[in-house]
Amino acid sequence: MDFDLTGIDGRPLDRTDLEGNAVLVVNVASRCGLTPQYEGLERLQQRYSDAGFTVLGVPCNQFAGQEPGTPEEIQQFCSTTYGTTFPMTEKLDVNGQGRAPLYEQLTAVPDAEGEAGEVQWNFEKFLISPAGEVVARFRPPVEPEDESIISAIESVLP
Amino acid sequence: MDLIKATEVRLGDRLRSRDGTELTVTRIDDGFLGRPEFLAFVEDSAEKWFKMPAPRDREVELVRRDT
Repeated sequence: MDFDLTGIDGRPLDRTDLEGNAVLVVNVASRCGLTPQYEGLERLQQRYSDAGFTVLGVPCNQFAGQEPGTPEEIQQFCSTTYGTTFPMTEKLDVNGQGRAPLYEQLTAVPDAEGEAGEVQWNFEKFLISPAGEVVARFRPPVEPEDESIISAIESVLP
Repeated sequence: MDLIKATEVRLGDRLRSRDGTELTVTRIDDGFLGRPEFLAFVEDSAEKWFKMPAPRDREVELVRRDT
C-alpha cells in the first residue's frame, strides 16, 4: 500500500502494523446483521497477530447508513461489545466516485467467481500479502473463520 | 409519507432509507447477497454512493418522483 491511512483516532495509522504483514481489510458497520462477524475477526487477530498478520477495520456508512456513529462511538462500540484489538481506519467510502485510494486498489481484484468491482455490502474482506499484493477477496457472507479465509491467511504469512 | 412497493420503484425515484438517508435511484440490482427475494436500490452519483436493499414484497418510502 503506497498511500497513507488515517486511523479512527484521527492520527496517521502506524504503518509498522501493516507493512511486512499479511492484512485482512474489512469494511465494518455497527448496525448490520453481519456485525457479529467482529467476533471471528478478533479471533483471527488473536490467533495470527504474533505470526505477522493483522485485521484492518474500515468503518463505512455507504450501506443503508449502518455505520452512522462518530469515531469515538465506533471505537467504544467495538471495544466494549466485541473487545476488538485490531487497528481501524477513519470512516471511508469504499464505492463510488469518492472511493478511498485503498479501495481503488482492492476493488480491482476479483472474488473467487471472477467478479471484481464494487464492494457488495458491509464485511467484505480483502487479503493483502506481506509483499503488498491483494491475493484474495471474500464476499460479506463468508465468515471470518471460514476455511477458505484461514487457508488463504496461512498461505501468505511471512 | 408515501409508501410504494419495492417492485414499483423506478430509476430517478427519490427514496428515504430507514436511517433517514435520502437517495436518488440510479440503479436497481436484482437480488442481494445471493437472495433473489430482495432488490437493492443504489445511488451512484457525483454526490454520493449509497445502497439500500429491500425485500420485493415490502414497501419503501418514496420522497419524490419526477413524472
